[in-house]
Amino acid sequence: MQCRSVNGPAQLLNSTRRHFFGHCGVGLGSIALGSLLAEDCGAAIEPPDLRDPLAPRPPHFAPRAKRVIFLFMAGGPSQLELFDFKPKLQELDGQVVPSSYTKNKRFAFIKGDAKLLGTRRKFARHGQSGAELSDLLPQLATIVDDVCIVKSMVTDVFNHGPAKLFVNTGSSRFGLPSMGAWLTYGIGSQSRNLPGFLVLQSGPRGPRGGNPLWGSGFLPTAYQGVPLLPGAEPILNLASPPGIDRARQSEFFSTVQKLNSQRLAAVGDPEIATRIAAYEMAYRMQTSAPELIDIASETSQTLDAYGAEPGQTSFANNCLLARRLVERGVRFVQLYHTDWDHHGNKDTHLGQPLDDRCKEVDRPAAALVGDLKARGMLDDTLVIWGGEFGRTPMGEPRDLIGRDHHVDGYTMWLAGGGVRGGQTIGATDELGYYAVEDRIHVHDLQATILHLLGLDHLKLTYRFQGRDFRLTDVAGSVVSKLLA
Amino acid sequence: MAGEDIDFVRDIRPIFAARCQECHGATKQESGLRLDSGAAIASGGNSGPAIVAGKASESLLIHAVSGGSDEISKMPPKGAALEPAQIEQLKRWIDGGANVPPDSSVSDPRRKTDHWSFQPLTRPATPQVTNPRWPRNPIDAFVLARLEAAGLQPSAEADRATLVRRLSLDLLGLPPTVEQVDEFLCDSGCDAYGRLVDRLLASPHYGERWGRHWLDVARYADSNGYTIDGGRSIWKYRDWVINALNRDLPFDQFTIEQLAGDLLPAARTDQVIATGFHRNTLVNEEGGTDPEQFRVEAVVDRVGTTGSAFLGLTLGCARCHDHKFDPISQREFYELFAIFNNADEPTLQVPTDQQAKEMPALVAEIEQSEKRLAEVDANSLGRQTEWEVKLAGRLNLEQASDVPAAVRGALAVPPESRTDEQKQLLKQEYQKVDPERLPLAARIIELKESQKQLAAAITTTLVVRERKEPRLTHIHLRGDFLHPGAAVAPGAPAVLPPLTPRGEKPDRLDFARWLVDARHPLTARVTVNRIWQIYFGQGLVATENDFGLQGDRPTHAELLDWLAGQLIENHWSLKALHRLIVTSATYRQASRMRDDLIAADPYNKLLGRQQRLRLEAEAIRDVSLAASGLLSREIGGPGVYPPQPQGIYRFTQQVKYWGENKNADRYRRGMYTYFWRSSPYPFLKTFDAPDAVVACTRRPRSNTPLQALTLANDRAFYEIAQGFAARICADGNQDDGQRIRAAFRCCLTREPSPDEISSLKQYLESQRARFAAAPQEAELVAASSPPAVADPVHAAAWTMLARVLLNLDEFITRE
Repeated sequence: MQCRSVNGPAQLLNSTRRHFFGHCGVGLGSIALGSLLAEDCGAAIEPPDLRDPLAPRPPHFAPRAKRVIFLFMAGGPSQLELFDFKPKLQELDGQVVPSSYTKNKRFAFIKGDAKLLGTRRKFARHGQSGAELSDLLPQLATIVDDVCIVKSMVTDVFNHGPAKLFVNTGSSRFGLPSMGAWLTYGIGSQSRNLPGFLVLQSGPRGPRGGNPLWGSGFLPTAYQGVPLLPGAEPILNLASPPGIDRARQSEFFSTVQKLNSQRLAAVGDPEIATRIAAYEMAYRMQTSAPELIDIASETSQTLDAYGAEPGQTSFANNCLLARRLVERGVRFVQLYHTDWDHHGNKDTHLGQPLDDRCKEVDRPAAALVGDLKARGMLDDTLVIWGGEFGRTPMGEPRDLIGRDHHVDGYTMWLAGGGVRGGQTIGATDELGYYAVEDRIHVHDLQATILHLLGLDHLKLTYRFQGRDFRLTDVAGSVVSKLLA
Repeated sequence: MAGEDIDFVRDIRPIFAARCQECHGATKQESGLRLDSGAAIASGGNSGPAIVAGKASESLLIHAVSGGSDEISKMPPKGAALEPAQIEQLKRWIDGGANVPPDSSVSDPRRKTDHWSFQPLTRPATPQVTNPRWPRNPIDAFVLARLEAAGLQPSAEADRATLVRRLSLDLLGLPPTVEQVDEFLCDSGCDAYGRLVDRLLASPHYGERWGRHWLDVARYADSNGYTIDGGRSIWKYRDWVINALNRDLPFDQFTIEQLAGDLLPAARTDQVIATGFHRNTLVNEEGGTDPEQFRVEAVVDRVGTTGSAFLGLTLGCARCHDHKFDPISQREFYELFAIFNNADEPTLQVPTDQQAKEMPALVAEIEQSEKRLAEVDANSLGRQTEWEVKLAGRLNLEQASDVPAAVRGALAVPPESRTDEQKQLLKQEYQKVDPERLPLAARIIELKESQKQLAAAITTTLVVRERKEPRLTHIHLRGDFLHPGAAVAPGAPAVLPPLTPRGEKPDRLDFARWLVDARHPLTARVTVNRIWQIYFGQGLVATENDFGLQGDRPTHAELLDWLAGQLIENHWSLKALHRLIVTSATYRQASRMRDDLIAADPYNKLLGRQQRLRLEAEAIRDVSLAASGLLSREIGGPGVYPPQPQGIYRFTQQVKYWGENKNADRYRRGMYTYFWRSSPYPFLKTFDAPDAVVACTRRPRSNTPLQALTLANDRAFYEIAQGFAARICADGNQDDGQRIRAAFRCCLTREPSPDEISSLKQYLESQRARFAAAPQEAELVAASSPPAVADPVHAAAWTMLARVLLNLDEFITRE
């Protein structure tokens, strides 16, 4: 795809049309609600019109999902405590891991002579599908027939920052666009008064890696994820300055628009029409956001189901907000919940800290899936749950016991949005070390997510520094077993 | 003897030719291996030697053709395997010494290409044009010739108000003051424009403006990046760039000092500071990382950045495999890697003159005092004996529980019978009370504390220093440093002119000098193109970072070469180049969209007009501060912390330091804002400032609702509007109309139209009326600081008006 010049020629492509709108004084907010469900066109995505960068655009082929909620468990949850029960590992608990497993391997902290660690958690089978879960996830157990559990995830990098980048951008190096940026670049967003890609955060701190995890890389910044902040002003600079009420803000906007229109008439630059449209949307964002974040308007039943409490900052509140966001047409919502890095320190071992994380996450995540289903939105909303990697079958003794970062086999789950629920895909070997069955690499997951959104990961490309980049780098294939 | 019956030309070459050379020959060298010449066979491929002469069983070539090896895939990959007899011949040839007769080598292994950018610079003649009155300098002849050929006319010159604002924004990144505008508008002399250009190029703000452009390329930031993203001190490098541009350090020297200042003979401190260019790499401080992995990443980045900044080549593509499009092999990537692989990464102390004087004085005084102390200790024996006697006497008379038992014990022993331990103990004990020693010892402690404080106060900066023991560089197979392949020596890609080292092997200094050699086809072209791009929104080569085969061809190839030639001829003076461009008629055209041009040349490739360009993030802040009168014009120094919205660090792993400035530093230019890579100042990011992770050779210009929200509501920006209102109201003698006109000209330089005046006046009046009815709101809006205006209703209404002006599209646009 040729879109190497973001600010130059591409902007002029539709200059005649712009000219028309500029002179007619019509804002651009309403023009581009084009057909979303286009037929399979089989061609690469045309570069978007940067005068209305988030206008919805047809994907490559009919999509199964229209929007994504990615529940990112930052730090790397232990699949061995939550999903992947290994009797053999229990049996060999305390023995040194066979060297055949660790030869030529690098780990973040532990060494090759680490001892295997069986889990202390109880596992049972749930639902018609008989999915195996530990007692840490009682709520997930209730919706497990809507969920596809993938036990054979693998990734390339074992440090948090690079690994989070890898999941989000397909590369462990900085500077590439994140998944949400690729998606909104490719197909825009259905929301006309919110950003197309929003990021929410709960837990004790922000995720390691920070802004680049939801950055737009070399794509225009219009596609970067926008943090939705806790409190009355969820988007930076969304509130009018002190002393300026809604009427005054409206007068301000219309005076700016009037003068900009006069300038547009004088110099004819379509960029001014874009500026006018951007100010219109900014004003709509200001007026619609307070209603959006007001979760107190939900029924007490709904609040209870999520465990959400108005006025708090929690994963539960964020899950509920995520539903409200996708209801309003936002394309990609990413929730980070931090502190899953259970190495074995006082606050990061596999006992109480893990209990706490699961308590914070299990109920809201299950409620979200259930709520979407009840509202008829689960069919075209893809929900993804998982971290940047898993944890080693070997224990990591520190103050107490934990596990180190593990890239060769870990678990994620997906639901809705064209994913076949009620199944478990893939398996690790008897120690839970290597994914041995239906190995799904991060790039495969990314290819599959794009596929569900109607995008061919090979065709969603962007020319930068002489190369056509894509989310899946030079790899990735769609996992057909995942598809409904 | 084994293999003596094997003849390379007769038996071996035909096998290679038939089965191997399609991929390992003159046109293609998969895995860096070619098998069509003796020298090439001997040098092996990326994985190392293909052949171990005399030892077929250890030769990769044999493993490959035999198959079944873990380390190498079976060859050839397509078609039938080699016949057993052929493999046997190869084995015997290798076991027999792998002899190749000298005449079977190819003559010149250098890569050839006819791609335009690798060809030497041409010296094009100025073309003839039909309208000889339009060109002001040769640039215009090149441009006009193309326009005339397309049947188009250039645009008329922009009006003078537009020109003075355009020049001031382009050269300084600041709007002209009203006085500067009037001076220019009233200057009817024949070269008023030229004089204005000279005045602007002499301004110290020129170095800030163009320094910031360079810092994009240099990926400058004030923190380490990755996840922990701790702070770093490297602003001395940023200031070096500003200063170098202000003194018009020639671009060749500018390049050499940044890449290899430390290697210059008798390198000055500022030349070493300049090497910070390649210390703007990221540092991963996360626990459990492999330091070598991230050191390698930094070196890879240095190669890639050097490619983007000077060569306009996407060298990074050749990290994992030969470049798919350009004549750069993976081996050549690692030859460049080897140039940068021998740098250590020290921190340099950069004391002020005062500190530089104080430190040696302190050190000398400490030395002296310690010497004196040693003397005092050396002649303490007599004093100590006296003390011992007295103390022993006292112990006889009283309990003396303050004297430790060990000391008492030692004293009880006659001096000649004391153990060494006891002697030592008594000596130590005496030193605690020795009246000659005590003041001296106290003084030393004091001096050392001062030394510590002084050292902590000295600014540090990150630099590069060549290591004494060079590292051996290997090719990283598939780009993975854990899989080293063949060893390589430092060198430059074969497609470019030869790099001649001073010594045995080229180092960074040789490389830097090679880059700016007048015969180098890329550096000057890439440099003038990037500068041109800033003035016109796009380069003569639209793909400013890709002059390779996938890049665009120049729209005006001759102009590009002519400009590159001018740069070199003018001793690489950047100011001369700027002057040349901005005094051209091409640059001075109006930017208005013309219907005929929209139809015939929608991309403005032929340059029939100027281009309206939204200002960069920092410049938007700067013009606002300048218009409001709040701007601090101080140049250089550590990063500053202007107000930012709450909640920025909710989303970072660690809360970053942001001690909001309360003094004039609150109103410094945008380029001095402390830049945390993991969470940049939101204003900058919203307006497309680069993330400082890799070299940025061109910023995108997006146009988003978040930008509108920022200009309308951001508290730092709102404060600027309040300050602007105070400035507007400062002159008590003006009426509304006069004030509106003055404020308008502050922002936009030009005169407002009657329509614009009336819109603004109407708005002002309605705001004043509404605030008069809601005095509490007026109090909130009127600024308490900066300079307050007596009447809050008045101040609030003018703040509203100022806010409108600062939000106009034209205000943040260079017309």
